[in-house]
Amino acid sequence: MHEMECRVLSIQSHVVRGYVGNKSASFPLQVLGFEVDSINSVQFSNHTGYSHWKGQVLTADELHVLYEGIKLNNVNHYDYVLTGYTRDTSFLEMVVDIVQELKRANPNLVYVCDPVLGDHGSMYVPQILHPVYKNKVVPVADIITPNQFEAELLTGKNISTEKDAVEVMDLLHQMGPDTVVITSSDLPSRLGDRFLVSLGSQRIVMPDGTRKTQRIRMEVPKVDAVFVGTGDLFAAMLLAWTHHFPTDLKMACEKTFSVMHHVIKRTISYAHKMAGPGRRPTPAQLELRMVQSKADIEDPAIVIEATVL
Amino acid sequence: MECRVLSVQSHVVRGYVGNKSACFPLQVLGFEVDSINSVQFSNHTGYGHWKGQVLNADELQVLYEGLRLNQLMQYDYILTGYSRDESFLQRVVDMIQELRNINPKLVYVCDPVMGDHGSMYVPEVLLPVYKEKVVPIAEILTPNQFEAELLTGRKITSEQDALEVMAALHDAGPHTVVITSSDLPSPRGPEYLVALGSQRTVCEDGSVKTQCVRMDVPREDAVFVGTGDLFAALLLAWTHTHPKDLKTACEKTVSTMHHVIKRTMAYARTVAVGRRPTAAELELRMIQSKADIEGPSIVVEAQLI
Repeated sequence: MHEMECRVLSIQSHVVRGYVGNKSASFPLQVLGFEVDSINSVQFSNHTGYSHWKGQVLTADELHVLYEGIKLNNVNHYDYVLTGYTRDTSFLEMVVDIVQELKRANPNLVYVCDPVLGDHGSMYVPQILHPVYKNKVVPVADIITPNQFEAELLTGKNISTEKDAVEVMDLLHQMGPDTVVITSSDLPSRLGDRFLVSLGSQRIVMPDGTRKTQRIRMEVPKVDAVFVGTGDLFAAMLLAWTHHFPTDLKMACEKTFSVMHHVIKRTISYAHKMAGPGRRPTPAQLELRMVQSKADIEDPAIVIEATVL
Repeated sequence: MECRVLSVQSHVVRGYVGNKSACFPLQVLGFEVDSINSVQFSNHTGYGHWKGQVLNADELQVLYEGLRLNQLMQYDYILTGYSRDESFLQRVVDMIQELRNINPKLVYVCDPVMGDHGSMYVPEVLLPVYKEKVVPIAEILTPNQFEAELLTGRKITSEQDALEVMAALHDAGPHTVVITSSDLPSPRGPEYLVALGSQRTVCEDGSVKTQCVRMDVPREDAVFVGTGDLFAALLLAWTHTHPKDLKTACEKTVSTMHHVIKRTMAYARTVAVGRRPTAAELELRMIQSKADIEGPSIVVEAQLI
């Protein structure tokens, strides 16, 4: 049986309990057959949506030390790099250095970047990260998964129509990444206000050398709860499904969004059961039902279809 | 299944030891795994180089405080392995006792990693900590022969010695003991090593019953790292499914080990043609073995003794 040989370096948070950062990304990627090397940028007891959280952070120097260990053993060869939420400028800059070095070692390396800056109109990382993402990170990324706010921040352009979104994604292509997915937006959905709109754009080079851009749109059911770790899961699954469908963003997104839907649905159902009737579930009860969703992760039934624009 | 494990072990960026070796199989088998990483290293220490950072006892305490403040202290299992730091190990013991107050049915699965083949590879000061503090609160213990001898002060030169050592370990605390490898001669010849297990259960009428098993396990012509961590995790999983049937739990555990190791050896040979594989090439083929982890075909049978 042909075994997939694909190695991902994922640099994200670790939480003792729950599913964010590397905890959210590693298991699904491993279950899909990817070798995942993980550098934990922090180790916290749990994510910061709980009443309390405690733990330790990795400095840029400590990150460098870990990378040095990998390099000294001559195993700094990766097919993918995956990053997400970061709060520290020097850490992010060290990540960029590492990505650049890894790209020299493997020019085919794909850097999947979730440019976590904020949402719903406000930043929730230090402002100083904005120029770092814009000028240093996004230019070396191949796949990015901004939400609408992040896409607007990175391009300096507002999105109030689908046409705006397409233009913003084109601007993002020009900055670097060939694949852009705007994971959520405020655009009105054709299916009504219980849905949100996501969009994607992929620039590919055809065998005859011409460039083609495939753009898609998805109507995604809204969920009446605040989940944490879903963006991390999304980026990991987009990595996996674009790996299997490198020139078919429609298919990759349908798989990715469908997985998200199954995991979230299972999680909501469990959370409500645990919280009891009429009570709001706690952050602990809302932790993604990751382990229980293994079968959906392995082979997601398509429940969300993408329209090609 | 609603079963939550707290695993306190090493993390390596690359490869499969400690939590990297234990978490994926447990998750694949449906366990919720909370993991505290006692160190973060680039890779295990069998490579030419390794670099990283260690967690100290105070930092461990801080993480535990976070869980405690959120009242997230409900665990069904604790799993620990390789440790080099006496104060860290002591802090883990304190944590376990507190967690057991919250859930008296907590099961502590402990791999008392101290050494092998006659010599210790952790600081000697850890032996009394394991002996006096750790083993007495463990329910399931997975020592190798050397560690079992160290903990009981007795040598194993026959199967009878092994049974007596395991009985002594039961008296010290754990109701389930598996001596994961020994020098005892196998009836199947020098290509096999002998592993033994013993489980003491209290019946409804109050009488004590002990089930002992012996397994003849094919030897491997290579040094693997992380296999002990995988073993303890799998034994946790299969004793959970078969709590009063050590024979079946061991057969599934040892059989899974066999499949993973066989796949790993085959891979190492294809990438290291005509030479000895490197440490990197001998990393366990963990994710490629998912199907074997989920449903291991039994290839090693345990004999009741």
